Amino acid sequence: MAYSDKLIDHYENPRNIGSLDKNDDDVGTGLVGAPACGDVMKLQIKVGPDGLIEDAKFKTFGCGSAIASSSLVTEWVKGKTIDEAGTIKNTDIAKHLALPPVKIHCSVLAEDAIKAAIADYRAKAVQKTEPQAGKPADQTAEAAE
Amino acid sequence: MDHFARLGLPAALELEPASLDRAYFALQRQWHPDRFANRPAEERARASAEAAALNDAYRTLKDPLSRAFYLAELKGVALPGDGKTIDDPDLLMEAMEAREALHEAQTVEAIDKLAVEARDEVKQALGNLGTLFLRGDKPAIRKALLRLRYLDKFADEARTRRANLERSSA
Repeated sequence: MAYSDKLIDHYENPRNIGSLDKNDDDVGTGLVGAPACGDVMKLQIKVGPDGLIEDAKFKTFGCGSAIASSSLVTEWVKGKTIDEAGTIKNTDIAKHLALPPVKIHCSVLAEDAIKAAIADYRAKAVQKTEPQAGKPADQTAEAAE
Repeated sequence: MDHFARLGLPAALELEPASLDRAYFALQRQWHPDRFANRPAEERARASAEAAALNDAYRTLKDPLSRAFYLAELKGVALPGDGKTIDDPDLLMEAMEAREALHEAQTVEAIDKLAVEARDEVKQALGNLGTLFLRGDKPAIRKALLRLRYLDKFADEARTRRANLERSSA
């Protein structure tokens, strides 16, 4: 199967691998999975005081197309507002990377991941304006042992 | 006819491997093509169709995980297909951490340790799943099967990583 140069580049030199502090109020975290292929993708954005996405990181366990799709999205969203980032469509990702038809679902995963990260960021922003006393701390940090 | 009915077995997750084998081999003898060699063409065709269906049933039911997915389908539990995503944070966090640990494991021993732990998780999850099926708790069955799918994927990845590691150190 012939993969595009852009896809291979993102796969071999993935941009922005890593994690941001998910407990930071300015960080939105999206965690999504595609159970049919066992892929799991985490995508995080950090929004600056000017409302622009100043950093984005991802961690993906999945096939090359899933890794390339998430790498590309982190590159695309930097410098954008969250509204702009929210308009990224899986078809744009698939087209840019020239994903073969059987790998289109990888771009769906990346679109869902950025949407989830934005939703998480927005939920935190709402919480900040409506402070709730005694909110339980994040328990997912020490899951699975 | 579903695979359980074809083998004359109750449609349940728990299944004695010995009774499955017994049912399969008895029917396989009954429909063996050699016994139909001198029969009319339509009977031969029927026998070979039955034998193929039996093989299919046996293969599906033999492995507990594939049996679980098949039974869920029979019971009308819908699982997300290709291109469908999920966002269950507990499940995905667990999957992410497991894959990270595997990614960081640098020795065959470390990988084996993780693989053994994952195998125990699968065994335990399958045990719980039996109860969920008896109770007919579809949302819980669905959740347990999604987790099993990730655990199964983990086992696959662990095998691959182990093989790569052994090859590079050989």
